[in-house]
Amino acid sequence: MSVMIEARDVTFAFGQTPALRGASVDVEAGEILAVMGPSGSGKSTLLHCLAGILVPDSGEVLFDGVRIDALAETQRSSLRRDRFGFVFQFGQLVPELTAVENVALPLLLSGVRRARALPKATAWFARLGLDGLEHRRSGELSGGQAQRVALARGLVAEPQVLFADEPTGALDSLTGEQVMDLLVGAAREQGTTVILVTHEPRIAAYADREVMVRDGRVNAPDRIAS
Amino acid sequence: MIRFGLRLAVAGGREALTRLLVIAAAVAIGSGLLLTTLAGVNATNAQLTRFASIYPNASTGGDADPLWWSTRDDYFQGRQIIRIDVAATGQRAPTPVGVPTTPGPGEFYASPAMRDLLAAHPADQLAARYPGRDLGTVGPAGLTSPDTLLAIVGGTPEHVATLPNVRRVTSVGDTPALPETTVNLILGVIAGGLLFPVLIFIGTATRLSAARREQRFAAMRLVGATPRQISTVAAVEAAAAAVAGTAVGFALFYAFRGPLAGIPFTGMPFFPDDMSLGLLDVLLVALGVPAGAALAAQVSLRRVRISPLGVTRRVTPRAPRAYRLIPALLGVAVLFLAIGFRPETSDGQAAVFLPGLLLIMAGLVFAGPWLTMVGSRVMARYASRPATLIAARRLADNPKAGFRAISGIMLALFVTSVAVGVITTIVDERGPAPVGSTDAATVTTVFDEKTTSVPDTLFADLRAIGGVRSATAIRENPELTASGEVGVIACTDLPSVYGRCAEGASVIEVPLGLSRWRESASSATVWPAASITLDDLQRAPVVSMVVGTDGSVAAVERVRTVLEVAFPTFWVGPNVPGDFESDFADTLRGWEQLANVIIIASLALGGCSLAVSVIGGLTERRRPFSLLRLSGAPVRVLRRVVALESAVPMLAVAAIAIGMGLLAAHLFLRAQMGYTLVAPEPGFYVIVVVGLVACLGVIASTMPLLERVTGPETARSE
Repeated sequence: MSVMIEARDVTFAFGQTPALRGASVDVEAGEILAVMGPSGSGKSTLLHCLAGILVPDSGEVLFDGVRIDALAETQRSSLRRDRFGFVFQFGQLVPELTAVENVALPLLLSGVRRARALPKATAWFARLGLDGLEHRRSGELSGGQAQRVALARGLVAEPQVLFADEPTGALDSLTGEQVMDLLVGAAREQGTTVILVTHEPRIAAYADREVMVRDGRVNAPDRIAS
Repeated sequence: MIRFGLRLAVAGGREALTRLLVIAAAVAIGSGLLLTTLAGVNATNAQLTRFASIYPNASTGGDADPLWWSTRDDYFQGRQIIRIDVAATGQRAPTPVGVPTTPGPGEFYASPAMRDLLAAHPADQLAARYPGRDLGTVGPAGLTSPDTLLAIVGGTPEHVATLPNVRRVTSVGDTPALPETTVNLILGVIAGGLLFPVLIFIGTATRLSAARREQRFAAMRLVGATPRQISTVAAVEAAAAAVAGTAVGFALFYAFRGPLAGIPFTGMPFFPDDMSLGLLDVLLVALGVPAGAALAAQVSLRRVRISPLGVTRRVTPRAPRAYRLIPALLGVAVLFLAIGFRPETSDGQAAVFLPGLLLIMAGLVFAGPWLTMVGSRVMARYASRPATLIAARRLADNPKAGFRAISGIMLALFVTSVAVGVITTIVDERGPAPVGSTDAATVTTVFDEKTTSVPDTLFADLRAIGGVRSATAIRENPELTASGEVGVIACTDLPSVYGRCAEGASVIEVPLGLSRWRESASSATVWPAASITLDDLQRAPVVSMVVGTDGSVAAVERVRTVLEVAFPTFWVGPNVPGDFESDFADTLRGWEQLANVIIIASLALGGCSLAVSVIGGLTERRRPFSLLRLSGAPVRVLRRVVALESAVPMLAVAAIAIGMGLLAAHLFLRAQMGYTLVAPEPGFYVIVVVGLVACLGVIASTMPLLERVTGPETARSE
């Protein structure tokens, strides 16, 4: 398999506080990678650098062989919008919009007409067991439901890479596992590469491979037998 | 707890301090305007009292000698001059207010503005009307306004006693002021138009970061604070900001008192000392505003239940219903009905029009949330862009909150549109004659006492003035019929610019000014034949003189001066059609300027309210917005959301308010005067556009905050 996304010797500091100190990692196309580590180890910062959200202070980040750390903000935004998907721990749904509108949002942002975007978004509701919740607002959904809606939103535009930052962090273990089942199932079905940041070994176990971030560096990867 | 509340307000971190400063600034502007309004009412009363002293009632009694007093109107270039002729009948006669002594025959006092006018023009245009010794300046106590053109002219009792509008007075300066109800009512409407946006601004500012404040209160409840203690802390926080703001408001008022006095609230400026505050006014603002702010904080806390486990909204706002349109529609209906049933008395008219206008005003504010909801639902239904969809959904979710920040703009624009619409139309219908027209070049004097003939020397004097084209004496029509004209002249005396005689007529019937009321002089007018002979005509008394000129200022004012000197017993001085209208139009234009000030001020305040509201909305949604940005949504999409949420309702509201205001003005004009609304001049729209652009500028100033609060670090830190 070819390398889809790669970080080479990346450093990043928040002011005087270093977060990454020469982190390197590569992820193959279609692979599900778990990035683990204790709080403050720099795993979310690594994810943000890989996703082009943050620009490393030094080092390189390549997506599909192209250096994204050298791209302008507008180009990186466009990359994130069109090629990447995101799932975060909580608070990602726009409260004013209904669930189906939230799912359709990435499509609308990419210029897809509403008449096409909404049916495509609606299709994800059956797939993720969210039938009947299309017109609920985020405040009317349970944590697990909201997270599944967020997952649908992350995948609706059929991204090449899905970045998931503690996607089950705010859920109980059973609901978390349901969400992960759906996430992994849908990603494999679409052939989407997943970079999953978590500190829970139980969640990391869903990945093909896991790496450990400590003190801003990525430790030797361990391949998980599938 | 009070000390603790103060410490939280002042030393509660940067956010708390910012909030305190914003609220204090809002209160400062609000209390400053409140003080201005109170001082304006006091100034109006002072002005009306002085105005009344210019027109004293006849009085008797006491041991004072009577003073003969006649107040008459004169004009110069369309400006009204008040001429007071006085004559003391003894040593103990009262002295007019504002001067040290009563002028004797051949003496006069002049107001400062009059003195400037006299100095600026040749004597044969003005000063010759006030011959004699100049004794000095009339003081402020004797003037309605610093701009008042007034002369107190001394005369013999025998002469003054024969003047029109004369009375014997034994005391001056104690005439009761005219009822100020109407002016106070107008001031009240203006104050409402101005203060409403201010109150909205204060209200919006106090909601700034309300969610965080409420979370803090919940945390305090968790560690044992009672609801009463929370209530005290909230009240102290609000009152602290209000006290600081009120203090600044007083400072602002006194700093700008002078320029404020120059604003013609009543159509003429005040003396700076007129804009004074009584003890009650000071106490009302100094104590009332902080108390009101504390009360408002209590009320806002009632909307939420703060428990140790967090904050819950007591009620989910219900969607506004269509019945909210009823008051506004009722108001329009009242004005429509008034067209057919115009009450005869002014009290009756006020009883119809004012409730109608007030119903529309209140109705617009009441209907605003429903209109916002309907508009945003339509916008959401057809939205194809995500920004439009988010903005529309947010407005539709809580239309009351969406409308609140712009309700002040709506009210202010409605009030000013009504005012500007009415003023523009009245000035257009009844304004001064156009420059260059025959009317603008015609001076007419109507004799208070009939005279049998006009000396030939007067005709000679008038014709000697450069620019004079004709001089016509109009005689009284001895056979006046109900539909006839009051004057008659020989056909040969009619200058062609005023019309022509009916076929075969030798004597014709004409109005006193050679043009009919509210009609322009025209050479095409055909005057009907009178049923008297030329001999009868010569026996009829002269009732007016009409002098045609080239319209130049010098010619008109010289003619006026010659006529006044020749016929000194006029009540209203020789005038050009439009002199009164010109003065009236100036007064109306003063009101129009005030309306413009309100437009700019209310839009700027509305912009501030919107900006605070935008900041509040951004703070609430910083996480979903920042995550949207992380997911690749360009900042411009978020900018568009903010712009659509604030600018679109503001522009829509501005259009509705102006439309409704002009409709109300039209209905009022149709009902009251039979006029059709004349569209406001482009200047009005320019001011509205400038105000709206300023407002948009204030909203745009929040955009850097949008970028900052939705940056990647927000997603990390929350």
